[in-house]
Amino acid sequence: MSTSTAAPPTVVNFTVDGRQLSAPPGTLLIDACKRAGIEIPAFCYYEGYSLQAACRMCLVEVEKMPKLQTACTLPVMEGMIVRSETEQIHKARKGTLEFLLTNHPLDCPVCDKGGECELQDMVFRYGAGESRFTEIKNHEPERQWSPVVFYDPARCILCYRCVRACNEGMGVGALGVTNRGVVSEIAPNMVDHLDCDECGACIDICPVGALTSNTYRYKTRPWEMQHVGTVCTHCSNGCKTTLGVRNDEIVRGNNRDRSGINGEFLCVKGRYGFDVSTNEERVTSPMIRINGKLEAVSWSKALGFVAEKFRSVSTAGGSFGVVAGPHLTNEELFYLQKFTRAGLKTSNLDHARSGDLVTLLDALSGKTDALATSDDCYNTKAALVIGSDLSQQHPFLAFQLRADVRHHKANIYTVTPGPVREAKYSAQSIEVPVGGEFDALRNLTETLKGEQELVILFGDSIKGQRVRDLVEWASGLGIPVKYVCLVDYSNSRGAMDMGVMPNLLPGYEVDPHPGMSLGQMLSHETLDVLWVVGANPLRGKTLASKQAFVVTQTMFLEETSERADVVFPSASAYEKNGTVTNVTGQVQRLKAAVRTMGAKTDLEICGLLAKELGLAVEIGVWSHDVVFKEIHKSVRGYNVPLPILITGGAAATNPVNGRVAVDVRIEDIQSAGDTLFTSGELGRYSKLLTSVPEFPGALYKR
Amino acid sequence: MALITNILNNAAAVAKGMSVTLVEMLQPTITDAYPEGPAKLEERYRGVHVLQRDENGLEKCVGCFLCAAACPSNCIYIEAAENTEEGRISGGERYASVYNIDYSRCIFCGFCVEACPTDAITHGHKFEIASYNTSTLVYRKEQMLTPLPADFKPLVVKQEAPSAGH
Repeated sequence: MSTSTAAPPTVVNFTVDGRQLSAPPGTLLIDACKRAGIEIPAFCYYEGYSLQAACRMCLVEVEKMPKLQTACTLPVMEGMIVRSETEQIHKARKGTLEFLLTNHPLDCPVCDKGGECELQDMVFRYGAGESRFTEIKNHEPERQWSPVVFYDPARCILCYRCVRACNEGMGVGALGVTNRGVVSEIAPNMVDHLDCDECGACIDICPVGALTSNTYRYKTRPWEMQHVGTVCTHCSNGCKTTLGVRNDEIVRGNNRDRSGINGEFLCVKGRYGFDVSTNEERVTSPMIRINGKLEAVSWSKALGFVAEKFRSVSTAGGSFGVVAGPHLTNEELFYLQKFTRAGLKTSNLDHARSGDLVTLLDALSGKTDALATSDDCYNTKAALVIGSDLSQQHPFLAFQLRADVRHHKANIYTVTPGPVREAKYSAQSIEVPVGGEFDALRNLTETLKGEQELVILFGDSIKGQRVRDLVEWASGLGIPVKYVCLVDYSNSRGAMDMGVMPNLLPGYEVDPHPGMSLGQMLSHETLDVLWVVGANPLRGKTLASKQAFVVTQTMFLEETSERADVVFPSASAYEKNGTVTNVTGQVQRLKAAVRTMGAKTDLEICGLLAKELGLAVEIGVWSHDVVFKEIHKSVRGYNVPLPILITGGAAATNPVNGRVAVDVRIEDIQSAGDTLFTSGELGRYSKLLTSVPEFPGALYKR
Repeated sequence: MALITNILNNAAAVAKGMSVTLVEMLQPTITDAYPEGPAKLEERYRGVHVLQRDENGLEKCVGCFLCAAACPSNCIYIEAAENTEEGRISGGERYASVYNIDYSRCIFCGFCVEACPTDAITHGHKFEIASYNTSTLVYRKEQMLTPLPADFKPLVVKQEAPSAGH
């Protein structure tokens, strides 16, 4: 025999139920079978999390092994002969289910999980029709652990999925197991209640109805709902969420089909933050300020009134200022910028900017493939987070990095002004005050040169010249580097892409006639009209111009509405069709889940206003698909493959690769610093987000 | 001759026919006097539904929606709510706060009765529900629930007992 160092085999051949299969070495038998279409039942096994082998449902017969083996912990081996359907296995499964049902109550008719319960399905398929147990079942009363989470110990089958999802997936570790043997149960970290992210991942992952959500309890049964796949409207990560809708009311948010960029990940906002749309403070009728008080009027009267004012200001050569919100769809933003530039003949157009993407694009000019997507955050060998509490501000990107560490042993580096959750599993965490980031980076230089690739995620403390410095420093590392410029809200990125900026047209083309930025508009003393679409720029700020006629399109009467002369009720993102672009530049489709009486989408309001002003022909049809067609055709980077969008996927945009030669006013760029439980203007009106004990939360605390 | 035979044959035929009438006259009546008198219905007749109560006077319905799921004409509408310690409506964890059946769509197939896990919904014998106004055909829970007897006293407020076996 030679001592040749033959490469390890790249494929392992084995037999399951007489079928020849092959898989890469190290694949678990249960996964290999699943891919070949052979179902092996399991409760505790969950793809992506650590192995437990607790439920004993996945037992299979392997030749030359005396006892039945758990397929979930058994890696495939060369020449292995497996049988997954034999008399012995059927008996074992039946026995396992009989034991699970010794204490599991048969209250399926009143259980929220009834109809989508894995235990129900398993018993139906593999279980015995009757039980030999005649003893009285152990019963423990139900407990409420938080405003969101209820735990019913009697229903729990102790698969530990929730424990692992909380610990590994979320990095919180708020759940554990207490007691031993037959009295084991899941316990929260604060003995009788939870102190956690309130993300509800444990509820979603629970195969039975042991963990239930307070917002969904008893509202409906699973088969009564329509499922609408749309995009979460809160932060910029753009998680896909499937809304359960019953009788025009959203009753549940989750993503159990694991479609979209986020799989089934959702944070507290994505899973429960939809209640803003049913808040009873919603504006339901247009209002005009008459004698200092907002009075409800008809749509035609309000539209006519605004159009009349716009026309007279326009004729007199007055100044307009337009402020867009970061939650509008790409279609609305595009239509609004066209309205402003072509209709109102001004570029006084802006939104609350939260990240300096413009300078980044300019600094990356000439580099291809330099912007990371959310998939890159999962696949990269190393990542560097600068100036952001990622788990709080960008929970999905933080989840991706955690999964990257678990599955690919990636190295995470953080440079932040305070302690962050990433420190627990990072290769190196450095705390420096804002401004000192580059000293920390210089210390990291040698370490990072040893990495194969790097994804840099940076927050709003890196802006202007500092972005150029960062790119220059990273270029010196000599490894491929990709960047993510972190921004705040669901379509902050789209607002920049759609040219809702005073000096840039859609697709980052330089505007030959730049206008005023948001800060300049507010401090302009003779501004004649301020038109606010889905934003609240006057929160904590004042409008310098006393004469300004303020029009606002809003869901709630907030600070801007208090100053407004006309208020239009607008629809929330759960009531809209269109597209949004997430922080990593992926476009996804919004689908209207419900309708709210009285409100119209911002696109429709802008369109009706254009019609009233006689500009409709010039600006175009206010239908989301017509506007999207125009975006698809004309905006640089948005000629994305349509099948991906239509089927609910995320299509990566490919923005400009060239100089973006404009002055960036870095004082305009400021992140709102939202935590997990705040969400700018929307979060204030979510009863659930404001009711959890962790609200409002704080950045850089853990 | 032929004439006499003919007459006799005819008389025999009449007598035979009349004998049937005579026998039937002596049989008990099987037709109903409805609508002059009350209609007689079989025990298992499927009329307007009745929502049952248990021995403690609590509603049997636990709001599980299985009847609505079984309904082929989609005429049952339910909203469920949770029982509280102070206000216990049903024996289970939850109850139906709204329970409507649209009799303009119901086909009285009885699938809902078969689907009910708690025997809460049954068919009653009421059938005279024709109306000139279809909106009156949507029956609410109060219209279908069995009334409590006037002198009813609950024996004991039943706590959710652990069920034995399965």
